[in-house]
Amino acid sequence: MNIIIPIKQVPETSNVKMDPETGTMIREGVESIINPLDLYAIEIGIQLKEEHGGKVTVITMGPPKAEKALKEAIAMGCDDGILISDRKFAGSDTWSTAYVLGEAIKKIGNYDLILAGERATDGDTGQVGPNIAAYLNLTLGTYISRIDEVTSDSIVVERLLEEGYEKLQMPLPSLITVVKEISYPRLPTLRGKQKARMTDLPLLTASDMELEEELLGLNGSPTRVVKIESPKVTRGGTIITAKDEDMLEESVDKLIEFLKSKEII
Amino acid sequence: MKYNPITKDILEELVEILGAKNVIVDEEKMENYSHDETSEEYAHMPEVVITPKSADQISKVMKLANKHLVPVTPRGAGSGLSGGAIPVFGGILLSIEKMNRVLEVDYDNMMIVVEPGLVTNEINGIVDEKGLFYAGYPMSLLTCYIGGNIAENAGGGKAIKYGVTGRYVMGLEVVTPTGEIVEMGGKNIKDVTGYDLKRLMIGSEGTLGVITKAIIKLSPKPKFATDLLVLFNDAESAIRMVPKIISEGRIVPTSIEFMDKLSVHTTCDYLNEHLPYQKAGSMLLIEVDGTVEENVNLDAETIGELCLENNAIEVYVADNYTTQERVWSVRRNIAEAFMVYSPEQSLEDIVVPIANIAKLMPEIEKISKKYDIKMPSYGHAGDGNLHTTLVKNPNTTIEEWHEIEEKALQELYNIVYELGGKLSGEHGIGLKRKKYMKDYVSEAEIMLMKKIKKAFDPNNIMNPGKIID
Repeated sequence: MNIIIPIKQVPETSNVKMDPETGTMIREGVESIINPLDLYAIEIGIQLKEEHGGKVTVITMGPPKAEKALKEAIAMGCDDGILISDRKFAGSDTWSTAYVLGEAIKKIGNYDLILAGERATDGDTGQVGPNIAAYLNLTLGTYISRIDEVTSDSIVVERLLEEGYEKLQMPLPSLITVVKEISYPRLPTLRGKQKARMTDLPLLTASDMELEEELLGLNGSPTRVVKIESPKVTRGGTIITAKDEDMLEESVDKLIEFLKSKEII
Repeated sequence: MKYNPITKDILEELVEILGAKNVIVDEEKMENYSHDETSEEYAHMPEVVITPKSADQISKVMKLANKHLVPVTPRGAGSGLSGGAIPVFGGILLSIEKMNRVLEVDYDNMMIVVEPGLVTNEINGIVDEKGLFYAGYPMSLLTCYIGGNIAENAGGGKAIKYGVTGRYVMGLEVVTPTGEIVEMGGKNIKDVTGYDLKRLMIGSEGTLGVITKAIIKLSPKPKFATDLLVLFNDAESAIRMVPKIISEGRIVPTSIEFMDKLSVHTTCDYLNEHLPYQKAGSMLLIEVDGTVEENVNLDAETIGELCLENNAIEVYVADNYTTQERVWSVRRNIAEAFMVYSPEQSLEDIVVPIANIAKLMPEIEKISKKYDIKMPSYGHAGDGNLHTTLVKNPNTTIEEWHEIEEKALQELYNIVYELGGKLSGEHGIGLKRKKYMKDYVSEAEIMLMKKIKKAFDPNNIMNPGKIID
């Protein structure tokens, strides 16, 4: 089973500072890491390979330094990595990114399954995975939390819904985006790191693929960021107090009434 | 020693010195100042809590306390682990919380001058932009105060490379128990002008004076760090790596943290960590840091290879935020993981010469079996400092536990001393370990300590009841 995993290098955001004027993140001095949600796709990809054979190829579109993310994925156990990098891709939105990644996947070819993280922690859109499926005309399964069965031409998966699970049988090749429940990412080993260092990462630039120039980068992106605003939090909360024991029952009644009015109970 | 109670007159005098806002007698508020991070059994209420803002105020308070013979217990952030900040005789609890200013950042000399109530980690926030950091920080750096660190000579996970607090204290301003304000040390790298009183203050646990100002040395901040999490079959193989890494690898790592089987299994289970820890008999967490990324990676690789040559089951490499947080969280959550099993614990701080840690491990296991208690051992293998913890068996009563605790501790300390070790590496004696001092520290040494104490504090009012009686 040959698997392709598109990943994204994102800024490490747990200690990030915001520019109060522009409302954007201060990127200076911020470490770049593999999108944490992509780690689950990498892990399940490696597990599928271990069980069913084949190989796992990680790809990423980004600046040259995104090579580090590919090397980390190889250190975890992926076989190959391909860097898709070109100045022309700068400023791509989800649509344009999916277009380039889709073309890159076509170029790589010979795949049975594409695995993607649910969404990236920086843009938070969750669109690139599904967009690639649409562009390549592949069956799409989103929010996949378990893989039950793999045969030579189909895959049975569980899809996480708000109120339960949905069981899907999908043909291969197809694309699934995965949620955290699907796996526990492994840590890279020393041997893995050494292997990653020795692995050459082929570079795909715009001219290596059959791309239409006007669909690339900022100019090729239909999305326009018009304004960035911080949402105002308006949750005030309701406090019901019981000053002494006598008021306890009355207060509990009030609480029950309140919860009923909100249709919580 | 008989101390006088805090009278209304004394309170009035305190208000006059400090202002009403800085004199607290409200029971509920004072409760927070009655304990540190040791078990509740050591707690004791103060009679009054004061929050002075200057050395001058503290000097006046000390003179007042001598006049009326009332005890004064200085306190930092209360994150201590020896009961050192507990006012065992009541009296005045002197909290340095309002003395938290940065007085001077001296980049030319790479030093920072601070008040004692500054949260230790804030130093790093200030000097980070110049590529500097404070290297002496302990594990609790996000909450503890620099003054408390100095008073305890706090250590931490990076002592093997960077040493402990004392190495970075260049100078101090101290209010002595009799109320003199004394400057000790300064910004000079070399200074043998008389006795090194500053060194004497460092680690004196607030029994010789109140630190009111500190000149702290800053160091160039390493740009890169890589961590190795190494699984071993048994404790001995892990411990034997410590001298090998340094002598054969010719590398001084930033940390070598050790976790025994019980610590690894309990904590991984608690964190739902899916590393293949089930087969591990112990774990080492090794960090290397430096300025050139390639060199740091090379050092990590050398150490990793050495481990693999010496019985390591697997070597994991963490060189980014995601993986580093993950491997360190195993180490950081040990104490919490055992809280789930039983909150009644005695967190120890034994230290032995590094070559003897391997001999200590089977002995700890014997004690644990004999008394039917859990005794996870983890800590700073790089410097021989282990936080062996006695965890109460939930099936025993609290009375039985206290009996077991005392006997097991005595046996543990006996072995530690047979191996050339000491009672405490970085937490201090304070209240908690005082009763064991006379059994393990020579009479001549204790006599000298008593004479020093007497010279500084003739009326024995400064943090009495700590270290020695």
